[in-house]
Amino acid sequence: MLSGMANPRQAAAQLMNFGLIVSTAFMMWKGLSVITDSPSPIVVVLSGSMEPAFQRGDLLFLWNRNIFSETSVGEIVVYNVKDKDIPIVHRVVRKFGTGSKAKLLTKGDNNLSDDTELYARGQDYLVRKDIIGSVVGFIPFVGYVTIMLSEHPWLKPVMLGMMGLVVVLQRE
Amino acid sequence: MYSSLVRIQNTFGFFTTVAFVVAAFIAASDFVTPRAPVVNVLKTTNLQVVRGRPHYYSSKKEEYAIIKFTLDADLSSLFTWNTKQLFVYITAEWPSTSVSGTTLPSNVTSNQAVIWDTIITSPSADHLANIGPIALKKLRKSAAGKPIDPSRGKITLKNQRPKYQITHPSGKIAETEDVTLRLHYNVQPWVGVLTWNQNADYGLWNALGGGLSKKFNLPALKKKDEGKKAKA
Repeated sequence: MLSGMANPRQAAAQLMNFGLIVSTAFMMWKGLSVITDSPSPIVVVLSGSMEPAFQRGDLLFLWNRNIFSETSVGEIVVYNVKDKDIPIVHRVVRKFGTGSKAKLLTKGDNNLSDDTELYARGQDYLVRKDIIGSVVGFIPFVGYVTIMLSEHPWLKPVMLGMMGLVVVLQRE
Repeated sequence: MYSSLVRIQNTFGFFTTVAFVVAAFIAASDFVTPRAPVVNVLKTTNLQVVRGRPHYYSSKKEEYAIIKFTLDADLSSLFTWNTKQLFVYITAEWPSTSVSGTTLPSNVTSNQAVIWDTIITSPSADHLANIGPIALKKLRKSAAGKPIDPSRGKITLKNQRPKYQITHPSGKIAETEDVTLRLHYNVQPWVGVLTWNQNADYGLWNALGGGLSKKFNLPALKKKDEGKKAKA
């Protein structure tokens, strides 16, 4: 143990290795962001309002470019309400007008009523720029770890510490 | 070198690799399964426009269209082992008559609103459906022993009431012209890509046959005393 500490050259190499892993993950995330034109190309479902299609912890892949057609009714979109930072995954059920000023109304499949009450005060409809992507791909359950991390805050430092320890203690 | 930590790491790494490869195969299997959805009948049976409020505490009065319809569709080919649920929805579509001076090409439907939708779960996803315990028992019994039940994709509705009464942001919808109903679907997989109805054939997936109603015009606003007369 702590063999790296005895050899400063090895310790430096391990530190570089750790930095490489972190920066690779970051660049992959940002690269995906550029390709999909979405600030958050992968999101984790946080609520049950789209059940049975999506449950808590499912991973969704987003696409935010309108190459072939405009965002239209029936698409499942992720949007941010004005001045609130919680992304919501719901389906577009009404669209009035075309282009960037089209008025969009969303609704969760599992909710009885539409999202008018979720929107900001005085906001009756969404516009295209409120949307950060349409759902195109789906992997179940994989994102559950992030929900656990946010619900049990003590897990975060424990996991980070363990990961750091493993990387530092790894010989090679 | 061969500490238990490394072994645990390797085992977990191998497990995730296998899980992702299997998931990728399942997702890819969608593309080699033929799809031939078809709509035999989609027509309106009763049209009505009434005045109402958007919610109980609102003083704003708006016009709402109530479009009853008849549907006969066969979407059974969309049910495969990777289908979690099928979301079927009918939209009413109509062109804008006056978009502040600019004239849109007639093939652009600038207004679209869902009037009816339904979630059809695959038997493997029945336990996730948001229905009462008795309805769930009935649903499970209907497909006992069957992991895939394509017969659920056959939809027959006669003079169905719409789930949603639609309006326009202007609050006016009476006497709207050139309205059509269109059936759409969204296949939700257990893993993989989400797919919607297509207008053209792609590989083994055929375009949705039919699914568009004849053009119709919404009627004038229903007068109050007229309704009373009809009841009397």
